[in-house]
Amino acid sequence: MTHLAKAKFWVQLSLRWRWLLLFLLSLGGVTTTLFLIPEAVIAAPGSAITVVDGLLISALRSTAPLLFVVLGETLTQRVGVINLGVEGQMLVGAMTGFAATVTTGNPWLGLLAGGLSGLTLSTLHLFLCLVCRSSQIASGIAVWILGSGLSAFFGREFVGQQLNHGFSTIHTPALASVPVLGALVTEMTPVIGLSIALSPLLGLWLYRSQTGLTWRAVGESIPAAHAMGINPFHIQCQGILAGGFLSGLGGAALSVDYTLTWAEGMTVGRGLVAVGLVIIARWNPYLALPVALLFGGSEALALRLQAVGAPISPYLLGTLPYLVSIVVLMLNHRQSGQSGGMPDGLRSVFDNTT
Amino acid sequence: MHIQLQGISKRFNSLLANDKVDLDIFSGEVLALLGENGAGKSTLMKILYGFYQADEGCILIDDRLVVIDSPYAAMALGIGMVFQQFSLIDNLTVAENLMLASTKTPKWQWSDRTHWVNTHSCLSQLAPTIQPTNRVHDLTVSEKQLVELVKVLDADARVIILDEPSSVLTPLETQRFWTLIRQLADQGHAVVLITHKLEDVLACADRIAVMRKGRVVEVCLAHNNQKPELERHLSSEDLIHLMVGQTELPVVHPVPPSLAHPRLHIQNLWVGEPAAVSNPGHNAVRGIDLAIASGEIIGIAGVAGNGQQTLADAVTGLLPLTQGTVHLDGAPVHQAGIPYRTRHDIAYIPEQPLQNGVATDLDLVKNLVVKDINRMPFFPRRAKQRAQALQLIQAFNVQPPNPDQPAGNLSGGNLQKLVLARELSGSPSLIVACYPTMGLDISATQFIYEKLFNHAQTGACILWISENLDDLLRYSHRIAVLFQGEIVGIAETRRASRQLVGKWMTSGRQAA
Ligand SMILES: Nc1ncnc2c1ncn2[C@@H]1O[C@H](COP(=O)(O)OP(=O)(O)OP(=O)(O)O)[C@@H](O)[C@H]1O
Ligand SMILES: [Mg+2]
Repeated sequence: MTHLAKAKFWVQLSLRWRWLLLFLLSLGGVTTTLFLIPEAVIAAPGSAITVVDGLLISALRSTAPLLFVVLGETLTQRVGVINLGVEGQMLVGAMTGFAATVTTGNPWLGLLAGGLSGLTLSTLHLFLCLVCRSSQIASGIAVWILGSGLSAFFGREFVGQQLNHGFSTIHTPALASVPVLGALVTEMTPVIGLSIALSPLLGLWLYRSQTGLTWRAVGESIPAAHAMGINPFHIQCQGILAGGFLSGLGGAALSVDYTLTWAEGMTVGRGLVAVGLVIIARWNPYLALPVALLFGGSEALALRLQAVGAPISPYLLGTLPYLVSIVVLMLNHRQSGQSGGMPDGLRSVFDNTT
Repeated sequence: MHIQLQGISKRFNSLLANDKVDLDIFSGEVLALLGENGAGKSTLMKILYGFYQADEGCILIDDRLVVIDSPYAAMALGIGMVFQQFSLIDNLTVAENLMLASTKTPKWQWSDRTHWVNTHSCLSQLAPTIQPTNRVHDLTVSEKQLVELVKVLDADARVIILDEPSSVLTPLETQRFWTLIRQLADQGHAVVLITHKLEDVLACADRIAVMRKGRVVEVCLAHNNQKPELERHLSSEDLIHLMVGQTELPVVHPVPPSLAHPRLHIQNLWVGEPAAVSNPGHNAVRGIDLAIASGEIIGIAGVAGNGQQTLADAVTGLLPLTQGTVHLDGAPVHQAGIPYRTRHDIAYIPEQPLQNGVATDLDLVKNLVVKDINRMPFFPRRAKQRAQALQLIQAFNVQPPNPDQPAGNLSGGNLQKLVLARELSGSPSLIVACYPTMGLDISATQFIYEKLFNHAQTGACILWISENLDDLLRYSHRIAVLFQGEIVGIAETRRASRQLVGKWMTSGRQAA
């Protein structure tokens, strides 16, 4: 009897944490196989391993900025507001972050400045949508264009400069000798770590805390939330501002940690991609990490294929991440029916009667 | 505790919804708030709950002036309300909805379980069949009503406002509900009960306030009140008189069923998601055979959630069938979808009209004519439509009779009237009605029954789903009981009794 109860308990526990278990198991599996690969195979030029070596870290590097933005936009859309201005907020964040890092020499200050500038720009969206009650789509596009214009104007003098004191990587010599994973550990920056940690943290907060529940309620139905004693206006403000901060932070991560330069329009549509990825991730912060990794990974793969001289036009290779996103969007749609976890409040974005 | 509403006025554009209303609410007492549709009951209570702000007047609690400018402020003062149109959030689970409404919810949900255990016991006491992990979306109407009740009880409100809470409860649930209300009052809560049902008033009210056209026209003691010192007691006739302003109600006699020409054939009907079919009781329909004659009214009784909604959706062609056929006048309805429905004049009155029956942002004219959209000319004639709509609005007494207002502004009962006006106009050959009189006052209810009879007399088949056994037994020709998606009993109403039907509803076994 007690044995049965114990067994039942463990089964339930493992069911509850099955995703974590699966993740740990696969991580362990990958590590051991990598240890088993003989040195000679890795060294041979042109082998599959050379393509894969370091791929994970470059994938993570291009993912990190995007992940911040996806998480931010997830929060915004969770309270029932669509912000297409993330592209502009990212640009402003990238420019401000770069400028702050160049002038102060401290990349942390750069990140902070980037986040704050994104937040500042998002107040415009907040004002237009929540106070003036204008269309969220139109307001978002206005913010986007304004952001790209402002960043281009103020960023003129920083064009062409190169950062030589970005974030230092985390050194762990013991692990550095492991093939493939070694690169991952040695080239890991705090920004990448932060972005990866943020995804489950926000997930926990959204699904397990009282304030997270309040946010979800507002996104589902404003009248119902109002009737339950919540002030939907305040929550929506917070959602937009949080999204603004995170998109600015993502922009800063792009210029300060990834490219180490500033160029006009350097985000090339990443903000809009983030809006799409939010849908693929079904408005779920936990899923934001794998989904953003999908995009970042295919971007890294495209670059790597180009580097090893794959016989495909670089222009076509450049579309790989977008193609992958489209395919996933299609599969995702077929699987989950029409809505796929969309907050009900977003439906009203497209009619102008509010 | 003593709440005084003094001189409350509320105006919606040109319409005066509350006109200098004075009302006292005492703790330890159940106050029944009665009145016809659109009298302003919901508005008055929403003002007390802080959902609307009064244009004039003030609210005193224990002789102290209070400002209630939001539901949050009301909840802080211990005032809780169950809305007529549910204010639950469909995509969240029952547990999450309850946690949202409660002020005692811990900040993080893994830390403190005691509060949750309390809530859970309250839930299982009132509605043992509801799992806290169910999504509200999947609940039936009466289950939603129970969750709403738990929500208010859970918030520790000292003043509990219930806006037509019993309109779709089954007899058993209603009994439980009355006991609960009495218990609350005896524990010292103040309960305000808005209702159109006489039984509710007779069973549990201490005091009665009647509203008409935005004013409180009468406050008196109820029949069952034990306090002898006050003089006025009321009989049911007095009450009806007070509620509708007239005593003679039109009496409707059921015509004997003419079983010669069956029009609607339902054969071996199976509907439902695979998961739901294997798990009986969750709104699947399993193997139904039914033939309805021209001019016959079939009443479908049963505890909510036993497949009524699915049956209605399947018969009207809204849901794909897993197996079986539905024929109307020899032609199949089942793969037809909505165009067929409008072409062949199948009228459908769905449950929850606010969500399923109207486009809340469109005006009344568009809501009324949308049924004929396939028959409209390419350039519809607006003036003609408007005239038609006005006629319907007058016939069904939708208040206020302004055809240009958006449907979302109507009071609960008037919204229901709007759906009824659209569906019961013309000459439908099949009428599927789910709780058609939900939220209607007594005279409107009579009117609707009359309408249904007229349609039956001109040859329509009527499938009528209701929780109200008395009305079903009085007005339908045959009564069938759904239990876990199957028809467990069917009988002519003349031969059926309350006891028999009640037994079918609960045990699910066909009596020998
Ligand atoms: N938000 C609103 N905007 C405009 N008019 C409204 C609004 N809410 C209610 N009204 C109008 O105010 C009047 C009173 O409505 P209320 O909902 O208080 O009626 P009620 O007594 O609850 O009726 P019922 O029994 O049908 O629920 C109605 O005529 C209604 O059309
Ligand atoms: Mg009402």
